[in-house]
Amino acid sequence: MQRTFIGTVGYHNLCNHSIGSALLPKLQTLKWREGVEIDELNWGPIAIVQKFQSMEIKPQRIILLSAIERSGRDIGEITVFKWMGQLPDEELIQRCVGDAVTGVISVENLLIIGEYFKIWPDHTFFVDVEPGPEQAGEEFTIEMRAAIPKLIDTLQNLSSNDGTEIIKFKPLFGDTLIAI
Amino acid sequence: MCFKNLPIEFDDQGNATLKEGVSNPYSYNVVDLGKNEDKLKELLGKNGFLKNVDYDPVTRIAGALAFHSVVDLENRKVISSNSMATLFRGYEIILKGRSPLDAAYISSRACGVCGGVHSAVSALAIEMALDVKPPPLAIVMRNMLLALEYLYDHPLHLFLLSGPDYSEQLVSETNPEIVEKAKITAAKNKAVHGYETMIEIMHDLNPLTGKLYIEALEMTRVAREAYVLIGGKYPHPQSVVPGGLSVTINITVLNELYQRLIKFFDYGQKVVGLWDDVFDFFLECNPDYAKVGARPATMIETGVWDHPDYYDASFKNCDIWGNARWSTPGVLIDGELITTNLKQINAGLEEFVEHSYYEKWDGHRFKTDIEGTPLSPNHPWNKETIAKPGKQSWRDRYTWDTCPTWDRNSVEAGAYARLYITAKANKVVSRRFVEPTGHSMILHMPKHKLPAATMEWHIPEVWNAFERNRARAFCIPYSALVALDNWYMAMDYLRKGETSMCTPFSIPKKGTQIGVGFWGAGRGFLTHHLVIDDGAIANYQILTPSTLNASPHTPWGTPGPYEEAVLNTPILENIELDNPDKKFKGIDILRAIRSFDPCMPCTTHIQVANSDYMVTREVTTCACGLE
Repeated sequence: MQRTFIGTVGYHNLCNHSIGSALLPKLQTLKWREGVEIDELNWGPIAIVQKFQSMEIKPQRIILLSAIERSGRDIGEITVFKWMGQLPDEELIQRCVGDAVTGVISVENLLIIGEYFKIWPDHTFFVDVEPGPEQAGEEFTIEMRAAIPKLIDTLQNLSSNDGTEIIKFKPLFGDTLIAI
Repeated sequence: MCFKNLPIEFDDQGNATLKEGVSNPYSYNVVDLGKNEDKLKELLGKNGFLKNVDYDPVTRIAGALAFHSVVDLENRKVISSNSMATLFRGYEIILKGRSPLDAAYISSRACGVCGGVHSAVSALAIEMALDVKPPPLAIVMRNMLLALEYLYDHPLHLFLLSGPDYSEQLVSETNPEIVEKAKITAAKNKAVHGYETMIEIMHDLNPLTGKLYIEALEMTRVAREAYVLIGGKYPHPQSVVPGGLSVTINITVLNELYQRLIKFFDYGQKVVGLWDDVFDFFLECNPDYAKVGARPATMIETGVWDHPDYYDASFKNCDIWGNARWSTPGVLIDGELITTNLKQINAGLEEFVEHSYYEKWDGHRFKTDIEGTPLSPNHPWNKETIAKPGKQSWRDRYTWDTCPTWDRNSVEAGAYARLYITAKANKVVSRRFVEPTGHSMILHMPKHKLPAATMEWHIPEVWNAFERNRARAFCIPYSALVALDNWYMAMDYLRKGETSMCTPFSIPKKGTQIGVGFWGAGRGFLTHHLVIDDGAIANYQILTPSTLNASPHTPWGTPGPYEEAVLNTPILENIELDNPDKKFKGIDILRAIRSFDPCMPCTTHIQVANSDYMVTREVTTCACGLE
């Protein structure tokens, strides 16, 4: 049985930017294939590293769900990245660790620190939904609400055994954190 | 006389009044910083050895701090410095109009490291305002929770943030002669840390790969695990409420907690031994390191860890319960202990905004405290937070930090102030493991894997970057021992069946209540000043240690603590004036700043009234093009 871990990342109460943390309760009520675990990862990346390090059986696939504002995308547009590893220079990693232990929640930070401490399996994906500008509040915009079914489909497909074959993804590298 | 600058005097019974015959008692001169800036500009144009050194952000600290200095490389000294908090806080605005019950949860978010202390100090402010005394078991468990938070915080700073400044990797770039000497210098405290030579320690301080760096990450985990047994989660505990804690404590919880706490007994001995060796070695290499980050021992501390036999939450008795704490409140001016009374500490506080992005407020609602002691219009109970983003200018406004003072002195805060003032005051009530002497602090460490030991921290002759960190290292065993003392007390309460964890209370729907929470953060002094009108928060003011330490110049022109410490710092890094390729790192400046353990709260999101607009960053901190 393949173990898959879906982790949601992001601050609360920032409307679309909180899609990860806000969607978590709904995701946990859905039916997933056996071996899929869903939990929040919106806490310190060092603590997350320690969580994965102490797991007796490590997941073979990890899927992170978050929302980062990027130019050129419409709100609700979904991009799937495959984590390709590669670390930035040490000074930046130190900065990431510094941020991590002092309370910053960031999926990019998490990816870099996780890579440094070698917690990511070969199949690590980042599902990134375009949130648009940051706003305070608990509600999603219409566009984001409309994107949720497709988002769930994407997560279901990614977590299935052969799902990665039917999903187009972009590579994501740690030394640039920019998709090529 | 407690106050030398504020116009407050005391009669024989200790009652405070304003001095008679002073027409404008709280007036002050505002100095034009522009004159100095003009001189500097002229000098920078003429002298090729003068260099602007800007750090934006200052790395390996918590949150967003930028620092500007002008360095005379030829004479190896800093001639100008400005500290800039680059993010707008604003919890004061968020909390206004809300129920006091929200304060502990919301204010906790002010910091991603020390959310627990913000929750607790908020609970204390409400307890004072509403006259709520928590049950004894809740008091000792709260003490333990926050001792554990410090046990997360101190290793993090010593090894992850500040530690790399003393590592083989960084020192070999700035002062390779020290690395060479370290190879042939024996480490004095091998018995507790296991290292033969100084180079082995410096090697293991290397960032990311050093064993001490990795070990500190592990220890933060141990502290976190123990913390969540009481707090429910970290860093924002769910269980801290006014009147106690919303958890049930039993023997199992205490045993699980103890299993984690004991790991800090050996670790505390090891960390003290390590940093003693590192700082003694650097001073042996060059005694001028004693000048790095130096400033007078002028500091303030609220005290922490309430004794359950004394704490009753009241303002009336706060001098009594404050002095019964395991850490004594106090103000130290140039090494002299001025007061340990919380009422006087409170009365001497003011905040100024002449060099900050805030508007001055008009009101002076509370002319005295509850007992009639005069309060300045700049006192936190009178202060209002009115953000005013604007152009950055060294001659005018340059930071989101305010300028807090005590009796018009720029005072610094830190875990070290907790140790220093407690040692000097010699007032601790429960002395099972910690024993202040008036000139030192004796710590009785129990046996774990290492044998039991007695450690002693001595008040240093000079106050500087090394001594801040050395004292912070001692704060690991200090915090662990206070937690242990409270653990024993908790066991006794359970045995006696005193298991209540919370005192019920209600919030009056009418009238005004005021309170203040006094409780040190991992980085020292922390207060929350609260005004409740008709059941809702009318004013809420948070004064953090980094607000004090990162303060800009006072209106009358004296530098804030970071600024002063950097101005006094000699440049000991090797400089090749004729080699432009050799980059000036400013390691000595950074050591000075980092020794304060800056914590500039970072998760700041402010919603502008009646709009969806989020203020996340309003100023460009790049020093290019500044006036």
